[in-house]
Amino acid sequence: MRYKIYVFSFLLCLGVHFTPVAAQQNYVVSGSVRDKQTGESLIKAVVRIQELPNAGIISNEYGFYSLSLPKGNYSVVVSQVGYETLVQKIKLDSSQTINFSLQTKNVLKEVVVESSRKNDNLTKAQMGTETINMSAISKVPVIFGEKDLLKTIQLLPGVKSAGEGNSGFFVRGGGADQNLILLDEAPVYNATHLLGFFSTFNSDAIKDATIIKGNSASQYGGRLSSVLDVKMKEGNNQDYTVNGGIGLISSKVSIEGPLQKNKSSFILSGRRTYADMFLKATEKFKDNILYFYDLNAKANYQINAKNKIYVSGYFGRDELGLGQEFGIDWGNKTGTIRWNKIISNKLFLNTSLIYSDYNYNVKLKNGETNFNINSNIKDVNLKQDYTFYANGTNTLRFGFNSILHTITPSTFSGTVINSVSKEGRNGLENAVYLTNNYRVTNQLTIDYGVRLSMYSLMGGDVYNIYENGVLNSSIKLNKSSFGKTYINPEPRITTNYRINDETSIKAGYARNVQHLHLLSNSVASSPSDQWIGNSYNIKPEIADQISVGYVTKAFKSNFEFTAEAYYKYLQNQIDYKDGAEINTVSDVESVLLYGIGRAYGLELLLKKKEGRLTGWVGYTISKTERKIEGINENNWYNARQDRTHDISVVGIYDLNDRWSISGVFVYNTGDAVTYPTGKYTLQGQTLYQYAARNENRMPAYHRLDFSATYEKNKTKRMHGSWNFSLYNVYGRENAYRISFKDDPNDPTRTQIIRTALFKWVPSVTYQFKF
Amino acid sequence: MKKIILLFSLFATTLVGCDKEITLELDDSQPKLVIDGSITDQAGPYFVQLSMSTSVNNPTRINGVNNARVIITDQAGVKDSLQLVSNGLYRTQKIKGVEGGTYNLEVLVDQKKYTASASMPQKVNLDSLRINTFPFNGEIRYSVIPVYSDPIMLGNSYRFIQKINDTLDLTFHVFNDNLNNGKVNQRPLRGGDDNLKIKPRDNVFVEMQCISNTSYTYYYSLNLQSGAGPGGGTAPSNPPSNIEGGALGIFSAHTVQRKTVTIR
Repeated sequence: MRYKIYVFSFLLCLGVHFTPVAAQQNYVVSGSVRDKQTGESLIKAVVRIQELPNAGIISNEYGFYSLSLPKGNYSVVVSQVGYETLVQKIKLDSSQTINFSLQTKNVLKEVVVESSRKNDNLTKAQMGTETINMSAISKVPVIFGEKDLLKTIQLLPGVKSAGEGNSGFFVRGGGADQNLILLDEAPVYNATHLLGFFSTFNSDAIKDATIIKGNSASQYGGRLSSVLDVKMKEGNNQDYTVNGGIGLISSKVSIEGPLQKNKSSFILSGRRTYADMFLKATEKFKDNILYFYDLNAKANYQINAKNKIYVSGYFGRDELGLGQEFGIDWGNKTGTIRWNKIISNKLFLNTSLIYSDYNYNVKLKNGETNFNINSNIKDVNLKQDYTFYANGTNTLRFGFNSILHTITPSTFSGTVINSVSKEGRNGLENAVYLTNNYRVTNQLTIDYGVRLSMYSLMGGDVYNIYENGVLNSSIKLNKSSFGKTYINPEPRITTNYRINDETSIKAGYARNVQHLHLLSNSVASSPSDQWIGNSYNIKPEIADQISVGYVTKAFKSNFEFTAEAYYKYLQNQIDYKDGAEINTVSDVESVLLYGIGRAYGLELLLKKKEGRLTGWVGYTISKTERKIEGINENNWYNARQDRTHDISVVGIYDLNDRWSISGVFVYNTGDAVTYPTGKYTLQGQTLYQYAARNENRMPAYHRLDFSATYEKNKTKRMHGSWNFSLYNVYGRENAYRISFKDDPNDPTRTQIIRTALFKWVPSVTYQFKF
Repeated sequence: MKKIILLFSLFATTLVGCDKEITLELDDSQPKLVIDGSITDQAGPYFVQLSMSTSVNNPTRINGVNNARVIITDQAGVKDSLQLVSNGLYRTQKIKGVEGGTYNLEVLVDQKKYTASASMPQKVNLDSLRINTFPFNGEIRYSVIPVYSDPIMLGNSYRFIQKINDTLDLTFHVFNDNLNNGKVNQRPLRGGDDNLKIKPRDNVFVEMQCISNTSYTYYYSLNLQSGAGPGGGTAPSNPPSNIEGGALGIFSAHTVQRKTVTIR
């Protein structure tokens, strides 16, 4: 009943805004914004009217814009960072379509990360949002010389790394599974390769990525902490180009070009690591396998001026083997078909059909016996997303999203065991949403909306119901029948008040609900982690976040300072009992525990956006805690990723036309861990005594990386660059693990051993383009 | 699943920069009572070891508790007051362990009472020890498979104590029948670390215990924690056990069978 009231009151609000504007005679100017050289659509380009400071819009995910204006003569100003600003005079006496093509700036002094562009505040109220442009991060030093989206976002305040060299990340105290990672709208269930050292995103195939830290607009949903929306390049529709990179442990190549000049294009991109070549060279490890590969492909086809189709796909696989004894392989497959339709000059529709699949296989061979473990999660997803450019001050976005999840938990088979074929569980996740961007005055913008998410358990499996950990009853749902349905309204609002041209303040509230949960038996992500949907015991996870922010610019907008504070309350968080065997137990729900969480913090970010020196300094002070029934005597405890202080400094300096240098410095408080508070001997072994969970700290983590990039003369066709980087310049031995063990020379003494992963990691990469 | 964690840490070690001994400030909590007792199907006497835990920086040794009153009763009404041998080790006088029997332990120290109850499972016969060989990183490795037929009923747990030429393997080897219920076991006992490799001509001694599910969880938790740290292992805590009253340790009733095999 409550959600009905929510929806109703929002509809009511919308009506109020429409009435006063309806009287005016307006015309519509609409069209697309593209890159002149490549034809790539430009996302979030600002289209505004010089004569009407109050009028403006940003282009959507497909470069489309639409503006309603009264009759008159105008100068339309189109701008996008990295591009020359375009000014075009128009005479508006009827509705018209105008497409803009922007020229890239000659000297590319690009901004690495940009949360707001000039005049950005004009049109959106978003908070906690950062966009990363892939071509711009190429000079940021990274481990193994492989530029990596997920490692770069970890340098932003509020985003924390899951560990040394790891692509996993935590946002504002959330878990690694609470990030919605989308690749062309398709959810990616395991975004890492090679035990987390690489992300699944091949930077050559990616256009840009936006991370929204909990205040996402209502078209997004399904995860508590953040949305990482990654968009693949569309491909050059003007000319063929080949890009590639040769590094120490991986190489990649991509090819793109027009299918029909100006209209359609494609891109194909592949990557393969060859770390195992080094293993092969050693006598000891020559039987081992360790590699991954991935392939990105995308094509678009313009049917006519009003219809365009995009097809994109990703396929990636990791292979890991230890002699003939043991092997594990895992990977994601995603596919997206999208149909853009301009229904009218005010109404834009995108329909998407999305497929996503993640699975892993473990093979164990032991002499004559063998043993396999498989697990799989599969999604089929239909989405319709409408953008209605109602009038000069209201832009509505509404639509629905329907996902059929098929989740098959770890299934075991082999010669020596009873092959238990666990039934896959189905779940139907539906959502409808409505959001309005309302520009109340030139100073005040409000984004508000609601998402109604629903998750229905579906038949095919037995659902057990536990009360206080004891089996109470079981429900067998027949195939194609529905069980319990969870319905959760998710209201969201963000407001932006512009005090003057340089300074604005923001405030927001958002509720996010998560219906899929990751059961992980380790702290960092592992390919064998299992996803599970809601059930009769597992309720949807809920996060409520309030945040306030302040943004100011100085020195002709060259410096930007952002401060944001947040408080987040989490419900229905999941953990499991001590000693639980979550993979082999017949019903994993029998070993789960539930509780709540809270996280709060302050994030400061100072960016320098233009000039020879660009970069940023970020600082976060935060607290993250959990309280789970049955853990730590039901008291609050620090979440593992609770790191009080977190600093990152990123600087890129262009020495001259050929050389540029860059550096990264990070510092953070050590993870919250549990050290022993005593020891004892039991049956000849030293065992340790523990008190409260995560009361102790790992040593503080800090590191400096450095890189230098040399670009050869840019001739017309061939263009090459060398990147030299050194990870961990001063060789700090950061603690990856602290362990306690008997001293081999004196077994009555306890040794405390610190294990460090990397001391120095140098790398060289050659990039080419022709 | 432990295997995967093991493999990961193996790959991680190939990348590892270094291990170094460090010192840490540890807040040593109050010492706690540790109870380690067992009743088996072998002839008595049986023993209960009582000790106090100590600071991590102190030498590791058994700090025996000698002022306790220790009583074990069985379902037949036999009440056995245990006698102190030395350094916190108490010995039963008359109680007899049998398959299927239930035993209650009561320990009184400084007016504090600790209790535990354990039931001995039915014995599953250890038929033989089989030698398993497999290639690993260019060499032949050996492991021992305890051969037994798991009963039809689900819920059997086993513990294996392995000694290689009289050196105790420090891994807690515990198996259950979640996956191979009713089958002949073919799962080998893996050596805990590279220092205790099994080589040709070694004598491998195996003691098989049929244990309760509570004991299984106790030892399994200890195993999970041995891999603690990012990339594997869980947040460590005192393992769940059957002892009530706030003491550490375990009270177990289990069957015992022993066999030795020579690698050739």
